Amino acid sequence: MAGSPEDGEDLLQEVFLQAFRKLGTFKGDASLGTWLYRLALNHCLDYVRSRQARMKKLTDTLDAETSFEPAARRTTPIAKLDLDRAIERLPDGCREAFVLHDVEGFDHREVGELLGIAEGTSKSQVFKARLKLRAMLGER
Amino acid sequence: MHPDPAVLNDYVEDALGASGRADVEGHLESCADCRGAVNELREIRDVAKALDPRDPPARSWTRLQRAIALEHGARAVQVAGSRSADASGSGSRRQLWIGVAAAAALVIATAAGLRYAGFTSGPSSSQRATTTGGANANTDAAAQAVEAELKQAEAHYEKAIQGLETIANSEKGALDPQTAATMQKNLAVIDQAISESRAALRVQPASAPAQQSLLESFKAKLALLEDTVALINEMRKGNDAGAARIVSGLKGKG
Repeated sequence: MAGSPEDGEDLLQEVFLQAFRKLGTFKGDASLGTWLYRLALNHCLDYVRSRQARMKKLTDTLDAETSFEPAARRTTPIAKLDLDRAIERLPDGCREAFVLHDVEGFDHREVGELLGIAEGTSKSQVFKARLKLRAMLGER
Repeated sequence: MHPDPAVLNDYVEDALGASGRADVEGHLESCADCRGAVNELREIRDVAKALDPRDPPARSWTRLQRAIALEHGARAVQVAGSRSADASGSGSRRQLWIGVAAAAALVIATAAGLRYAGFTSGPSSSQRATTTGGANANTDAAAQAVEAELKQAEAHYEKAIQGLETIANSEKGALDPQTAATMQKNLAVIDQAISESRAALRVQPASAPAQQSLLESFKAKLALLEDTVALINEMRKGNDAGAARIVSGLKGKG
């Protein structure tokens, strides 16, 4: 989500500091883990949105890439490490939708709400991410 | 004719109606390319779901611990400061200064901590790229020259810090025990940063971030000691205006 391990570390620190500041507002309605997860997600999404505003949604660059053509046929299974690295190389918008949907398990409606985009846009971003990943993993 | 890729993706996501699904399955029976594409999309989805969470590096927790320690101290002093201000009407002037002094020590420490945290949070991507490229290009001779300069700077800071520590320790009776303890605690946080930077340099003597971190930590410690000594001086002289000026300057720095 953060885009780089270094930015992820910074976000980790900010999230836990915020949790430390807001601990007094934790009512115990949900588990502490859920509360912390929610806090982290909101903080990461704020970061993502501000970055998107700065970068004017680079996701548009993927609009033309909706073909299966470039991928070479792989003969070995996808290694987790390779996929992890390929995800890092995805453009911001479709990486965020992909991570929330395929990695974190949110459905498209939830991804749309979280990212402030339409449900259909989430669907198309995840689709584009998968195509892009397929092409990248086929390059090996 | 192949189905649209988006339709194959919907098929993988189980988002097609019964007839759409049947159409795709009919096509897949006779088309190895689309069958391969569907299998790969499924594989990407399945492997993504099974990705392991990434553990942050150990240094993240050290940084966090330091930041929380500083913030926790600052919060405690805000409370102490407001209580002291409330007590001013009852003639407890010393109590007021206890709060102010503690606040001052923490404001300095927090400012110092923030400077350190600002550094350890890492340079921007472009800076990182430059640093990496530069590090690769460094010759051994250049690295040795940098190390020598670092050692010289380290010696300079250590000497200045030692002098100030002597003054601060001998005069800390001017501060109430709580303020002195707070100051010690904040110094310990900075000392920890110094130890960590030194440890990093032992492993990678030419590491520019570790060198910078060490110098930043020294600067932070020096600034904390300088301001604390100045505050002690003003309080011992009973110079309220002077102490207030220091506190005001410290707030400006924070």
